[in-house]
Amino acid sequence: MIGGVFIYNHKGEVLISRVYRDDIGRNAVDAFRVNVIHARQQSRFPVVNIARTSFFYTKRSNIWLCAVAKQNINAAMVFEFLNKMIDIMQSYFGKISEENVKNNFVLIYELLDEILDFGYPQNSDAGVLKSFITQQGVRPVTREEQTNVTSAVTGQIGWRREGIKYRRNELFLDVIESVNLLMSQQGQVLSTHVAGRVAMKSYLSGMPECKFGINDKITVENRTKNPGDSTNPTNNSTANNSTNPTTTTTAATTKTAIAIDDCQFHQCVKLSKFESEHSISFIPPDGEFELMRYRTTKDISLPFRVIPLVREIGRTKMEVKVVVKSNFKPTLIGQKIEIRIPIPPNTCDVQLLCMKGKAKHKSSDNAIVWKMKRMGGMKESQLSAEIELTPNDKKKWNRPPISMSFEVPFAPSGFKVRYLKVFEHKLNYSDSETIKWVRYIGKSGLYETRS
Amino acid sequence: MPTMRGDAMRGLAVFISDIRNCKSREAELRRINKELTNIRQRFRADKTLDGYQKKKYVCKLLFIFLLGHDIDFGYMEAVNLLSSNKYTEKQIGYLFISVIMNSSTEMKQLIIQNIRNDLQSRNPIFINLALQCVANIGDREMAVAFTNDIPRLLISGDTIDAVKQSAALCLLRLHRTSPDSLQLNTEWTARIIHLLNDQHLGVATAAVSLIDALVKRNPDEYKGCVNLAVSRLSRIVTSSYTDFQDYTYYFVPAPWLCVKLLRLLQNYPPPDDPSIRSRLNECLDTILNKAQEPLKSKKVQHSNARNAVLFEAINLIIHMDCESSLLVRACNQLGQFLQNRETNLRYLALESMCLLAASEFSHEAVKKHQDTVINALKSERDVSVRQRAVDLLYAMCDRSNAQDLVQEMLTYLETADYTIREEMVLKIAILSEKYAVDYKWYLDVMLKLIRIAGDFVSEEVWYRVIQVVVNRTDVQSYAAKIAFEALQAPACHENMVKVAGYILGEYGNLIALDPRSTPIIQFDLLHSKYHLCSPTTRCLILSTYMKFVNLFPEIKHHIQDILRHDSNHRSSDVEIQQRATEYLKLSEVCNPTVLATILEIMPPYPEKQSPLLVRLKQKKPLTEPEGVTESQSPPPPTTGHNGDGPKLTETALHLNQQHQQQQNGLLLSLDTPESNGYYEESTSKPSSSTLQSAKKFLFKNSDILFENDLIQIGIKGETIKSTIHIELYYGNKTTLQLTNFSTNIFALGELESELRINMEPVKSTIDPRAQSKQTGTIDCLADFRDLPMMNISFLYNNMLQKIDCPFPIYINKFIEKAEMDSNNFFLRWRNLEKPSQECQKIFPAKFPMIHEDCRQKLDDFGWSCLMGIDVNAENFCGAGIIHTTSQAIGCLYRLEPNKQANMYRLTIRASKDGVANRLVELLDDQF
Repeated sequence: MIGGVFIYNHKGEVLISRVYRDDIGRNAVDAFRVNVIHARQQSRFPVVNIARTSFFYTKRSNIWLCAVAKQNINAAMVFEFLNKMIDIMQSYFGKISEENVKNNFVLIYELLDEILDFGYPQNSDAGVLKSFITQQGVRPVTREEQTNVTSAVTGQIGWRREGIKYRRNELFLDVIESVNLLMSQQGQVLSTHVAGRVAMKSYLSGMPECKFGINDKITVENRTKNPGDSTNPTNNSTANNSTNPTTTTTAATTKTAIAIDDCQFHQCVKLSKFESEHSISFIPPDGEFELMRYRTTKDISLPFRVIPLVREIGRTKMEVKVVVKSNFKPTLIGQKIEIRIPIPPNTCDVQLLCMKGKAKHKSSDNAIVWKMKRMGGMKESQLSAEIELTPNDKKKWNRPPISMSFEVPFAPSGFKVRYLKVFEHKLNYSDSETIKWVRYIGKSGLYETRS
Repeated sequence: MPTMRGDAMRGLAVFISDIRNCKSREAELRRINKELTNIRQRFRADKTLDGYQKKKYVCKLLFIFLLGHDIDFGYMEAVNLLSSNKYTEKQIGYLFISVIMNSSTEMKQLIIQNIRNDLQSRNPIFINLALQCVANIGDREMAVAFTNDIPRLLISGDTIDAVKQSAALCLLRLHRTSPDSLQLNTEWTARIIHLLNDQHLGVATAAVSLIDALVKRNPDEYKGCVNLAVSRLSRIVTSSYTDFQDYTYYFVPAPWLCVKLLRLLQNYPPPDDPSIRSRLNECLDTILNKAQEPLKSKKVQHSNARNAVLFEAINLIIHMDCESSLLVRACNQLGQFLQNRETNLRYLALESMCLLAASEFSHEAVKKHQDTVINALKSERDVSVRQRAVDLLYAMCDRSNAQDLVQEMLTYLETADYTIREEMVLKIAILSEKYAVDYKWYLDVMLKLIRIAGDFVSEEVWYRVIQVVVNRTDVQSYAAKIAFEALQAPACHENMVKVAGYILGEYGNLIALDPRSTPIIQFDLLHSKYHLCSPTTRCLILSTYMKFVNLFPEIKHHIQDILRHDSNHRSSDVEIQQRATEYLKLSEVCNPTVLATILEIMPPYPEKQSPLLVRLKQKKPLTEPEGVTESQSPPPPTTGHNGDGPKLTETALHLNQQHQQQQNGLLLSLDTPESNGYYEESTSKPSSSTLQSAKKFLFKNSDILFENDLIQIGIKGETIKSTIHIELYYGNKTTLQLTNFSTNIFALGELESELRINMEPVKSTIDPRAQSKQTGTIDCLADFRDLPMMNISFLYNNMLQKIDCPFPIYINKFIEKAEMDSNNFFLRWRNLEKPSQECQKIFPAKFPMIHEDCRQKLDDFGWSCLMGIDVNAENFCGAGIIHTTSQAIGCLYRLEPNKQANMYRLTIRASKDGVANRLVELLDDQF
C-alpha cells in the first residue's frame, strides 16, 4: 500500500510530504531527492528502489510527484492514483506549478487525507470531492447538506447526489482520439494504434438513466442478429450516424463497425448489462467525467502522410525535402499542424524554404520545426532545407524519426456514436427534450516517420 | 578590433549565468545545443574571427565540456590561440588542449610545433605556459619531441630561475610518464647535478626531485651529486653558513630541500671520501642535536618541519648502517618520541625503530625500550600504532627475550584487533619456533595459540606444528600428552582437533599406558569431536582412526563400526565415503604385519625455510624488515606451497588416490605427503624453477603440475605403447569464476618432429571452486630430450593471468617393462657395446641408500627390476623398451650402489645412440 506521497519542486525542495504508514521513515524524502532528483545520471525509470523502498514518480512541469511504498504494490494502480491526483489538483486550482502548490497546500493536505486512507486509495472523483472539500473556508453546514454528503460518500450511487435541477437539460459528448504511428522511409506502416476516450459533460436534472450506443463490431452484430430488439431510431437525432438498424445489411455493418481491442468504463456504467446485452447504460455524474476509454489497432485511417527525402552531399552539406499529404475528406480541415524534423547535432547553418506555413530552425532542440495553422483535406505541401554541417568523423548521425502533431475533426479509428438516450422516470422529461452535442477530435499521439 | 572590449568576455558570463538559471536538465541541454550551433556558425571556415572572439568561444566550449558534454570541434581554433601574442588568449588555448587533449596525430604535431615555438620564445611567461602544458599532458611523443629543448632551458645560463624551476619539474613529469623515451644527453649530467648549488631555493628543490628520479634510473652516472648534496646539506643545517637561512619555515631552514637531499643520499652507500663522510656525519649529528633543543615555537608546523627533517635523517642513518654512535643516538631520540603525546610521532618512531632493530649496531639499543613498546601495545588507542608495536616486538626479538615477548604477545592476542590477529599468530608461531630452547615450551605456546585464536591460525601454522613434532622424537610423547589434554576442553577449535587428531594418530601409543588415556579413551575423546567438524577435518580423523587400528588392535571393531556407519560409509561427501570404504576394506583384508607397513609412522620432514615466513611475506611484503632486502628475489609462488606440510587440497588427494590405486591397489595414509623420494626432490630446493618440480613426474603418472593461489593443475597420464593419454585437471581455487580460460601445449624446435600433441579444447570458464578437465594424447614419434611447453591464460577478476611451465613428458613415459632371465640379459648387454650406445655415470647419493626405495623408484621409472641376475644382490639390473611410432628402442641398465662411499654407478645401454645419455641425465640426481 502507498506509504506516503511527496511533492518536490525542481530543485528538490519538499513542498508536500504526507506519510500514511509507519514503515516509511523520515529519510525517505531525502533518499528520493539524493538518488533521483539530484542524481548525476538522469534516472530513466519511473520506479526506483532505494534501500528496499519503492519510489513511483512522475514529473509535471518542474514539479515532482512521488509515491512511496515499502510493500510489493501494484505499480499500475499507483500511477493511476498519481495521475488522478494531478487531475484533481488541476480541477481545483488549474495549472500545477510551484506557486500554485504553495498557495494551496492546506487544500492539498486536505485532499490527500481524503483520497488515501492508510495508504488505500479512496474516492478520487473531483466532482464528489468538491461537494465537501471547498476552498471557501469554514461555513456552517446544514443538516441536510451533511446527509447529502454522507449518502454521496457511502451510498450506492456515490457519484451523483439527489435533487439536481436544470432548466435546460443539456449534455456534451466528446470523442477524443490520439493516433500513434510509426512509418518506415518507404511509407510502410510499421505500427499503429488509436487510443481514444469518450468525455462527457452532463447537465441533467434528477436521476436520469442514459443508454449509449456505438458502432462496435460485437454490439452491431449482436443487434443485426436480433433486429426486434432494436430501439426506435428516431431517438438518434444528434448522432452523426443515423443508419436504421432494421434496414442495414450485413455488408454495411461490417464496413461501418469497428473492432475495439479493449475498453474500460467509468464506474457509473453498469457492467453487468454490458456483459449480458452489450449495451452501455449508466446514471451519469453531474458535470464533467470520462465515460470510457478504448483502443483500436485495425482499419485506422491515417489523416496525414509524411514523405521525407534526405540527401547527404559530402561531409559538410545535407539536403532535406519533406512532403506532407492530408488524407481525409476535402470538406474537413486539419489544425495545429506541426512537423518536427531532427537534424544532425553538428549543424552550423540551415536554409529553409516552404510553400505553406512557417518553418524555423530550432538549434536548442537540433530540429527544424514547421508549423501550419490549418490544412484542408486531400492537399499537399512541401518544405525543403539545406543544412550546412561542420565535418565530424567521430560519430555517425543515427537519424531520429520525423514527428508530427495535428488536430482533425473526425475520429481516425472510425468510431461513431450511434445514439445516446436519456430516460428520467420521476421528473418525466423525455429524451427528445434534452439537447445533445457530439464532437469528434482526432489528435496525434506519437506520429512518426523514419527518415 | 574595437578597443572598448576588455577581457571580461561578457558573452561567456551571460552564457554561464543562463546555464545556472536553468530549471531542469532538459532546459540546460537546450541552452547548450543552441550555443553549440551558434559557435559552429562562428567557427565556419569562411568566417574570420579576432582573437578575443576565438578565446570567448573556446572558453564556452571548455565550459560545456566541463559540464559533461562531448566536444567534437573547435580544436583548430584552440590551437590557433596558442600562436597568439596575448597572454590571456595563449593561456585559454593551453587550458583547452590540456583539458581536452585530442588524440589525432596531425593535431598533435601542430600542438607540438606551437609549444616548441613558445619554448624558444624570449618571453619567460610563454615558456612557463608551454612547460606547464607539457607537464600536464606530456606523453611519449612529447617526451621524444622535447628531449632536447627542455634540458637546454634547464642548464642554459640565461634562463631565469622561475623557468628553470618549471623546466626541472616538467622534465621530472616526463621522466615519470615515459622514462624510456626521455633520453638525456650525458654531457648535461654534470650541469644538471650542479643545479644543486643553485642560489634559488625553488630551482634547487625542483632539481633535487629531478636528480632523485634520474639517480634511480642510472645511479652511476649521477654519482657526483653525493658530494654536492652533502655540502649543500651541511651549509643549510649548520648555522655558521648563511645559505638559505632566510628561507626558514617556522624557524627550520628550508625543510623541504633538506628532506629531499637526505632522501637523495639514501640512494647511495655511505660516501667513501673520509672528509665528505665526516661532514655528512656532522650534519646528521647537528640535526640530532637540534632535536634536543627546546621548541622555538608552539606552533605545530614548527615541530612538524623539524621532525620531518629528523626522521629523514634517521632513515639515512639506518640506510648507511655504519655509524654505531649515530644509530644509538637515533634510537634514543626515537625512544623519546615513544613517550610523546602526538600519535603520529609515536607511529613513526615505532616504524623507524623496526628498521633500527634490524641493524646489528642498534639492536641492543632498541631492546632497551622493550618495556615501553609492550606498554604501548597495551595502552595505545590507535590500532595502526599497535600494529607497529607488534612489528617492532617481532623485530627486536632474540634468544634472550623471546620467552617474555612471546608471552606478552600471547596475552595481547586475546584482546587484539581482529585485523591484525592472523599476522600476530604467524609472528608468534615464527618467534616461538625460531628461538625455542625447549620444544616443550614451543608446543605449549602453539597449543595455547590455537586455543586463543583458532580462527586466525592458518593452515601453514598447524602444518608446521606437526612437522616439528614429527621431526623431533624427543617431544613426541609430550606432544601426544598435551594434545590429548587440550582435546579434553569442552569447546575445542577445529584446528586443535586437526593437530590433536594427527598427533594422536601417530604417537597415541606413547601415552596409551597411562590409565587416563587408554586407547579407548583417546578414541572416544576424538570421536566426540568428530561430528562437530568440517568434512576435511573428518577425513583427517578417519585417517587417524585407521592409524589407531594399527596402534591399538583392541579397538579395531569400534573403528570398523564407525567406518561402517551410514554417515561415513554412505556420506554425501565423496572423500569421506571413499576413505571410509577403503579403510574398512583395508582393516578387514590385511593382516597386522601388512597393516603395520602401510600405516607406519611418518618419516621426518626435510628441514628448509619455514613456510610461515613465506606466508608472512605474502601477507605483508613491506613491513617485514628482511622483506626489503629479499624482495628482489621473492620465492616463486608455486614452490611456496608445494608439498609443504600435509596436503589436503581436494585435487591432490584425488590424484594421489588414483595413482596409488593404480600402482599398489592399496591405499596408504592419505594425509601424508606423497611417498618420500620425489617429495624431497621437489621441495629440497624451494626456489628452484618449475622445471625441477616437473621432474618429480618422472616417477609418477599423476601429480600436481602447478599450483598457486588461483589455480591448481593436476595431471594424469597413462601410456599405451607410443601414445600417452593425458588428463589435465584445472581446479579453480578462488571464489570467482575464471573466464577466457585457454591452454596450449606445444613442442618447440626439434621436438616438433619428435612428439605429436593432440589436446582436446578446454572449457573457457571454470566456476568457483570447481574443476575442469582436459584430455588429449601425445604420440612419441622419435626419442626426444626437451620438454614441451604449456601456456595457460585466463581472466581472474578481469585480470589476465598467464602461466608458462614446461610440460613434464619425459622419454621414460614410453618405456615398457621387459622381463628376461640372466642369460638373456647379459647376452643383450654385450650386444650393445658400442661407445655411443652406452653411458655411464658415477654420482653421489642424495638420499639414504635403502635398497627397497631404489627398487621402487626404478620400478616407477618404467622399466623392470630384475632380481637375482647380478651376482651382487645389492645391484639392480633391468630392461625396458621405449616405444616410438617409428621404432622400438631397447634399453638395459645396471645400478651399482656403493654404501661405503655413498655413491652410485649407473650404466645404461640403449639400442639407439643418445638415448642412454638422456636416460642417465634424467636419473643421475634422483638417488
